[in-house]
Amino acid sequence: MIRTASTLLENLKTLAYLLPQLGRALVTRPETVRFPFAPPVIPKGYRGRVEIHPEKCHGCGLCVRDCPAFALELQREELNTFKLIYYPERCAYCGQCEVSCTFGAIYQTNEFVHGTDDLAQLVVTLVDRKPA
Amino acid sequence: MTKTVIPIGPQHPLLKEPLAFQIMLEGERVTDSTMRMGYVHRGIERLCQERTFIQNIHLVERVCGICSHVHAMTYCRAVELLLGINVPPRAAYLRALLCELERIHSHLLWLGVLARNVGLDTIFMYAWRDREVALDIMEALSGGRVSHAVNIIGGVRSDVTPEQREEILEQLTTLDRQVNWLLGVVEHERSLQTRTKGVGLLSLQQVRRYCVVGPVARASGLDADMRRDEPRTPYDRLSFNVPMHTAGDVWARTLVRMQETLISVELCRDILKEMPEGPLAVRAPRRVPPGEAISRSEAPRGELFYYVRSDGSDTPARVKIRTPTLPSLLTLPQQLKGVTMADVSVVLSGVDLCIACADR
Amino acid sequence: MNALIKMLIFPGFGFLFIAALAFDWIDRRMIARFHGRVGPPWYQPLADFIKLLAKEDVVAEGTHGLAAAALPIVSLTAVMTASLYIPVGGIVGASFEGDLIVVLFLLALPALAYFLAGWISAGVYSVLGGHRSLLQYFSCEVPFLMAVTCPAILAGSWSINEISNFQAQTAWSALTQPLGFILALIGLIGKLKRDPLDIPKAKSEVVAGPLTDFSGRKLALWHLTMNMQTVLGIFLLVNLFFGGSRFFNRVPALPVFGLKSVAILLMLSTASALYARLRIDQLMDLGWRILAPLALIQILATLWIGG
Repeated sequence: MIRTASTLLENLKTLAYLLPQLGRALVTRPETVRFPFAPPVIPKGYRGRVEIHPEKCHGCGLCVRDCPAFALELQREELNTFKLIYYPERCAYCGQCEVSCTFGAIYQTNEFVHGTDDLAQLVVTLVDRKPA
Repeated sequence: MTKTVIPIGPQHPLLKEPLAFQIMLEGERVTDSTMRMGYVHRGIERLCQERTFIQNIHLVERVCGICSHVHAMTYCRAVELLLGINVPPRAAYLRALLCELERIHSHLLWLGVLARNVGLDTIFMYAWRDREVALDIMEALSGGRVSHAVNIIGGVRSDVTPEQREEILEQLTTLDRQVNWLLGVVEHERSLQTRTKGVGLLSLQQVRRYCVVGPVARASGLDADMRRDEPRTPYDRLSFNVPMHTAGDVWARTLVRMQETLISVELCRDILKEMPEGPLAVRAPRRVPPGEAISRSEAPRGELFYYVRSDGSDTPARVKIRTPTLPSLLTLPQQLKGVTMADVSVVLSGVDLCIACADR
Repeated sequence: MNALIKMLIFPGFGFLFIAALAFDWIDRRMIARFHGRVGPPWYQPLADFIKLLAKEDVVAEGTHGLAAAALPIVSLTAVMTASLYIPVGGIVGASFEGDLIVVLFLLALPALAYFLAGWISAGVYSVLGGHRSLLQYFSCEVPFLMAVTCPAILAGSWSINEISNFQAQTAWSALTQPLGFILALIGLIGKLKRDPLDIPKAKSEVVAGPLTDFSGRKLALWHLTMNMQTVLGIFLLVNLFFGGSRFFNRVPALPVFGLKSVAILLMLSTASALYARLRIDQLMDLGWRILAPLALIQILATLWIGG
């Protein structure tokens, strides 16, 4: 008798298994992030905008060679006259340039990059080296 | 009985990626079906021959949108075999950690998709909320939610700090609790079971004939898991069991996946606790000596296979990827035979479709 | 003049429109909270409605244009007519002996229109959804009708208002006939095609069912009809199973009625968050093998008690 009652109870439980959790969900805070009003949480190591320490760049072109998205371009005229150009809209934010750079010049910040149609932001001259 | 042809795909609310089915119906019962794929073929294998070994890491990472790390890792391993270098143990542990996190993320995502397709939106929301924990850990570790870009040839590039370790262990406790609850739902929730039990049956013979791998094969009773069958660091030092079922229906696959998720959470903890100190990477030359290598690993959807051939330059001569979803996709017409129209959604979501993986 | 106010404002179109949007919002908000989300703001149903009204109205090739335009209007008219006979907190639009049957008939019309909407469409999803809606109608309507009959038998009247007043003197039918109430609730979910019995419009199977090819104004009217149907179904259940205001003699009848309706709405929301969708054959099994016999038992029990 007790056993049949308990199996019946088990069966009833499977009929409304989610019910306790639904009750709990009503009293806990919702997970929704109110995005434009609350700032997003970006971790320290987030791979965002590519920046450079221009004085450390030697213009070796390793980053350009390894970039899988062809987002970097080296325009070299002479040994000490070159430009390193960065196209953010091509960038895949993989961070390979940071790995490849042997001088620790190029690096990624954790700043999120929004899409834009502003031409000045689409072509960024990272290094513009001229002989001193 | 009226005969109808129902097109499902390339655009249909059931499919998150383009795949086309023509389903022949007699009343509500499926008599026959044809499949068309290739809508997301991007020619990645060919592109690999155009780019250098280093650029390819990030290219193959984009084969799949869910299990991205395991693709890059398996590719790197194949190149490392060609180069004859061994990754430092800490790098191997970090790679495995991300692998397991990715498995958790993939399986929870899949549970959400299945629940959505059977109309149980509550579980969809809960599963995707809990998956967010795994994504947060991965983002903190690697700097990206989906493409992690931690692999370099010869090791990894990002490390776990001791503070991060404690934080991750704490997050894993939450994840453990939530996944346990979700497993309970799969085991006990009646309406979910009425929809998934006995649907999408695959026998062990069919699994063998179609070379199905991963959770789908394990749910049909094929005992195969690359982590255990071809153990590499750190899996040779960790103890874990491989969940198995013999029913071969969608419910068994759900159970297998949720149990695997639990085991993955446990593995993540073990990996974090036993992670040795040491360097993260060894230097690797840019030119790869001629030769060929294969590399296999257990992706969330099953065995992933990479073949890399080099002709001595800095570009591979051939990269062949065998993804785990392709064979399970090919079983779909078999599984669809005889089910009702309502079960088509369950069958299609049951094999964990990743069309991008299959088409490449 | 009085009749016009009753038809257009209360308890007719104006009230029903506001109630439909409000109930839609409460429902969406509740389900969102069950999911752990925030849910839409209060004006969302109205905004959706206005947006749909403003959208381009496309009639797919192969669809019967006139029928496509007429069906949502027919079903909306039927639903609004039914609203006149359902008392709201004791306030009656129109009432006569036997209006329960008229209301049930009028509430059945949208189901037929829904099926026809699928039938006249050229798309396969619509046709399949239409077939399903008819099958579902048969398996849900029978237990619903049988369950709804029980309070009428007990009260000895076929007038909704009298059934409601009868309960004010005795007790809620939900207390004397709990089985009948549960059956009516399940039947109502099936009639309204809500989760978990949204089989005719299951998104992952038949896209949007019969309404797949509808857009713009027609779709807005369909949605309005659905929401009004929800409101009326709930009002009907409140009148039949939680009639009268015996336990709250001091409070005015209207807020009490509103509270009871929201309580039933919350039951519906909970059910939709709780279960996965059934297959159509499973629903037929449930309807004919479990619900209909249980409803029969309830009727026999009611006859035996109330004689």
